Amino acid sequence: MFKTLIIILLSSVLVDNYVLSRFLGICPFLGVSKKLDQATGMGIAVTAVMLIASAVTWPIQYWVLNPLEMGYMQNIVFILVIAALVQMLELLLKKFSPSLHKGLGVYLPLITTNCAVLGVTIQNIIDDYTFLESMVSALGVGLGFLLAMVLFSGVRSRIDESNIPAPFRGLPVTLIAASFLSLAFMGFGGIVENIFA
Amino acid sequence: MDVLIAFLVVGAIALVLGILLALICHFFATPDDATQVKIRACLPGINCGACGYKGCDDYAAALAQGGVKPNLCIPGAQAVADEIGAILGVEAEPFEDKVAFVACNGHCEATRKKADYEGVPNCKGAAMLYGGPGTCTYGCLGLGDCANACPAEAICMIDGIARVDTSRCLGCGLCATICPKKIIQMVPQETAVVVMCSSKDKGADARKACQNACIGCKKCEKTCPHGAITVVDNLAVIDYSKCTGCGACADCCPTGCLKKVVFPNLPEGVDAEDLINTQFEVPHGEE
Amino acid sequence: MKKGSNLDVLTRGVLKENPALVLILGTCPTLATTKTVDGAFGMGIAAMLVLICSNVFISLLRNIIPDTMRIPCYIVIIAGFVTIVKLLVQAYMPDLYTTLGVYLDLITVNCIILGRAEMFAGKNPVVKSALDGVGMGIGFTIALTMMAVIREVLGNATFAGTPIPFLQNYKISFLSQAPGGLLVYGLLIALVYIVTKGKAPLKKSFSCAGCPNAAHCHTACTEKGDEA
Repeated sequence: MFKTLIIILLSSVLVDNYVLSRFLGICPFLGVSKKLDQATGMGIAVTAVMLIASAVTWPIQYWVLNPLEMGYMQNIVFILVIAALVQMLELLLKKFSPSLHKGLGVYLPLITTNCAVLGVTIQNIIDDYTFLESMVSALGVGLGFLLAMVLFSGVRSRIDESNIPAPFRGLPVTLIAASFLSLAFMGFGGIVENIFA
Repeated sequence: MDVLIAFLVVGAIALVLGILLALICHFFATPDDATQVKIRACLPGINCGACGYKGCDDYAAALAQGGVKPNLCIPGAQAVADEIGAILGVEAEPFEDKVAFVACNGHCEATRKKADYEGVPNCKGAAMLYGGPGTCTYGCLGLGDCANACPAEAICMIDGIARVDTSRCLGCGLCATICPKKIIQMVPQETAVVVMCSSKDKGADARKACQNACIGCKKCEKTCPHGAITVVDNLAVIDYSKCTGCGACADCCPTGCLKKVVFPNLPEGVDAEDLINTQFEVPHGEE
Repeated sequence: MKKGSNLDVLTRGVLKENPALVLILGTCPTLATTKTVDGAFGMGIAAMLVLICSNVFISLLRNIIPDTMRIPCYIVIIAGFVTIVKLLVQAYMPDLYTTLGVYLDLITVNCIILGRAEMFAGKNPVVKSALDGVGMGIGFTIALTMMAVIREVLGNATFAGTPIPFLQNYKISFLSQAPGGLLVYGLLIALVYIVTKGKAPLKKSFSCAGCPNAAHCHTACTEKGDEA
């Protein structure tokens, strides 16, 4: 049991990193990774929303949609729930922790349409995870996103100071740098299967 | 029948979420400070940071809390200061318009290159390599970091140095912050005389590096009838609180680095925000 | 060609404002589904169908949807069409359904569709919106297929599943894996820049133009405090 959870956590942080090997959430990855503090803020906000969204969508899927044989409405229901959740979270944060709202609040509206959040909730259902496993997987995906953002913000600041041929300036060189980072993450492949062997 | 169930369930979920949201909104919402919202509406909203706060929202919040001067918004100038003053019920202090001014006249005719620079094409990079490729290590590098930073596209590179179109300058000071040589100064709009040099080299060295350099001859210091000019580190410095703009110094300066100037205002009726959205017609030197 | 004419609207999406290569929208499926030509083409067509339907529907409703609630409304409309397309694919093309997996669901949050809804369909009449959907969809499909051809032929030595004999010993297998996607995409965008000599409205950095969250994002990206 514990072993499964560790495996899920490790594989979602390192091996199946959502940004670098599945390309989910690549928009904020490229857009908000210019500075370290922004990258961290966005990463933490995404992790929090992923955890909450998974905690809410799992019961909805198994207690509402499945008994009524409405699995096909998953998409619409999930996006509705996520959008509403993000909105509530923003309101509540603003009320109870203005300082946290100042730090993370600006990133919250960006998260509604973040495909990594919808992706992780749907993937949890596809993979037949239990509730606990879903939560661990959401945590892992969030941490993986945070890790990738933080690492890449360091790379970005070096790119900005480099002399880059005109056609590659801006997005192309960023994508190519991301490709190398992704290549590095491929090195983790196989680690999880063998960690308990 | 299935369709109906699906319809009802999704509807119900949406309704529950909607009611929850409405409840949260009703019970937990922090009403935005009314004065803050009003003040924010007066501010230009370009988040230039010249006021010293993190953008317009932050400044509005600080103003709403009180204890902050209402005349800090530089792009908004007097008009905004008055509006904010009216909202807060205080008399706005007179607003001092500032414009960016590049303290260097080392254009390509006046100075030379000691090396060809082929590194990262920005001033920050060039400055790191032996202080830049020019013979004068104090002068403008001409690679346009300031022009790129300018939100109003008021700076362009002409003959190898940055020139400010003061009729477009908002006075936000972003260029002064970004310039690695720190040769862009924010001076009062009413300035009549400027020192177009930043070189602290000794006279002969400065002159060798650039024809237009200040050689620290102190002629201006002696000529000025109001004692507004002093030479510090081989460079003339004008005390604008004493300067009357008579121009006697400019007439006597042997290298012509002291110049009489008139900074044009933003044209009447032009909104700072409009300026930012319009395209600059003078081509950028870097291209 | 007259600017704003129907033909212009149609062709704009294919070349001049190609969503994947010029506007840089919908990065996620562009990278994720282009391992194989089949998958990429299928994804392109699926996205096009959703795009056309949602554009038409949103354009029809553009005067009814209140301005403050438009993004949630758009998302729900799009999610509805995505579900329809997903069920169709599942029923008639089960292979494609397995290939695309979760990415089919994620068309819902694809920036192209939401972006076009926000930038075009929300402001233009039905016919134009439909044409815009067709144009953007074709442009997206072409870009995806192009990328998939490069990645599959060089990375896996196959074309749409058919092995290419003389390339069998020269597979650059990393191209068909995740890093290859990013690399090829970066190179293609650079190529577009060279071909158009920088005249295309290529954004200096990551383009947020079409993103409905641009307003929020902008404030997030341009906070000045840490620069000073």
